Amino acid sequence: MMSPATLLRRAAPVLACIGLLAVWQFASLVLKNDSFPTAIEAIRAIPDILGDKESLINILASLRRMALGFGVAVLVSIPLGLLMGRSRSVAAFFNPLLMVIYPVPKAALMPIIMLWLGVGDVTKTLVIFLGVSLPVIYHSFEGAKAVEEKMLWSGAAMGLSPAQRLVRIVLPAALPEILTGCRTGLVLALITMITSEMIARQSGAGNILFNALDMGQYDTVFAMIIIVGAMGICFDAIFERVRARLVRWSEPQFDLPLSFS
Amino acid sequence: MTAVPARSSEWVRPVTSQEPASVIIEIDHVSQVFQTSARKDHVALSDISLTIEEGAFVSILGPSGCGKSTLLYIVGGFVSPTSGAAKMKGQAITGPGPDRGPVFQEFALFPWKTVLGNVMYGPCQQGVRAAEAEAQSRALIEMVGLKGYENFYPKELSGGMKQRVALARTLAYHPEVLLMDEPFGALDAHTRTRLQNDLLNIWERDRKTVLFVTHSVDEAVFLSDKVVMMSKSPGRIREVIDIDLPRPRRRNELLLDPRYQKYVVDIERMFDESDEAGPAL
Ligand SMILES: Nc1ncnc2c1ncn2[C@@H]1O[C@H](COP(=O)(O)OP(=O)(O)O)[C@@H](O)[C@H]1O
Ligand SMILES: [Mg+2]
Repeated sequence: MMSPATLLRRAAPVLACIGLLAVWQFASLVLKNDSFPTAIEAIRAIPDILGDKESLINILASLRRMALGFGVAVLVSIPLGLLMGRSRSVAAFFNPLLMVIYPVPKAALMPIIMLWLGVGDVTKTLVIFLGVSLPVIYHSFEGAKAVEEKMLWSGAAMGLSPAQRLVRIVLPAALPEILTGCRTGLVLALITMITSEMIARQSGAGNILFNALDMGQYDTVFAMIIIVGAMGICFDAIFERVRARLVRWSEPQFDLPLSFS
Repeated sequence: MTAVPARSSEWVRPVTSQEPASVIIEIDHVSQVFQTSARKDHVALSDISLTIEEGAFVSILGPSGCGKSTLLYIVGGFVSPTSGAAKMKGQAITGPGPDRGPVFQEFALFPWKTVLGNVMYGPCQQGVRAAEAEAQSRALIEMVGLKGYENFYPKELSGGMKQRVALARTLAYHPEVLLMDEPFGALDAHTRTRLQNDLLNIWERDRKTVLFVTHSVDEAVFLSDKVVMMSKSPGRIREVIDIDLPRPRRRNELLLDPRYQKYVVDIERMFDESDEAGPAL
């Protein structure tokens, strides 16, 4: 048997969703606006989208770009961030570059990238890559910088070369911070995925959404918003599970250390 | 000051090329100057010369900021001196190596590794087969009194336990010299006493050379064969004192031993005198 407190904690997210939908339903009924369908109408449109082969192909194409952009960004950004965190000269070289790119909305670069690379997958994947890279680089950098010097010295005394220390000490020591960056990056991947498809319409989940908007199919628009939101929640939940598993060691199992002398 | 049975002149001596075979570490006119940002350079160590014999337990004792850690880091090869040189068995020290094993006040354990993983890290790095490294590591963990904690993560351990793991981790790769930088400084008095006892027991088995930094007079006298007294601003060796107390040392016997008490009182007096002579802390 679960205690009432546990039950409530488990049920809380579901209750929050139901509450949100109820508010939506109510607001929509009160406002009676054509472009604001009720929650029920929007939910009814979901099976139509997911049952449609064309739509599924679009959504899968989006997810493929997102996975590729995210994956490559993580593979490039973690080593770069770690190197920056451990080498002043590497940091001095890349910091100004990143500071210039950081505040620019990545989607704003799209028109230019489109001119060079067209409106296809490469452009959209590149934009996702850029969106994901910066938080991952930043957090890897901060994580690497914070690694205790004495830990590296201990490794050096055991005979680890500088490269080995980077991979076998800095990387695991900074992992909690790195994964925080990756989590932000994952959400940003979803956001840039949709915005990239808004700018370069051709295929994808964003394409379905904005086409429906153009055609005034508001129930489809809101259904897509629900689908994208649900994908975001799922990805984040899965990632969080993986993260918690990888950095179990950094979260104490016990509230207090065992006493021992 | 004359009351102390010091044979310091014999110890603070210029390093010559014909050292007896038993000398393991030579510190030869080492100075360390740190460039502090705005103000002028800070001389952390000024012309330090010292030899350490193989198998000796040598403490470096001095007030905080006198350069004890810096000296130890130089021997460890983590810091290179501004001038002068440190040698290990006649070879200039150019970097860290498994012949000199550090134990830091901050423990510096690998938090993503269990107790066993931490202790096995060094042997595995040295190419010892995993099964063999594990067996040795388990024995070491038992020796430092942590049997049953092999699969705990550092986060789950108290400070005293962490320092035991750190000691086992360093002993695991068989360094010839242990470099301990105030290893018990962060621990409460009771835990500190227990670890001092255990360290002595472990040390008395294989008599590795130990260079032990502390600011506690009791600790230095209790543990050491030699106490190197340092003074600060600039960091200098003030006196080297042989501690002529029988081993194995038992704390309860030693505390009652007038010879032990005399060493402690004399060393404390010497520090008091230098405080009066020098600038106030
Ligand atoms: N990396 C550094 N940069 C500048 N000053 C330092 C550095 N390391 C140590 N110092 C200074 O050198 C002096 C000696 O430091 P340290 O060796 O840590 O002393 P102790 O271990 O005896 O307390 C201190 O005044 C300290 O502030
Ligand atoms: Mg110190």
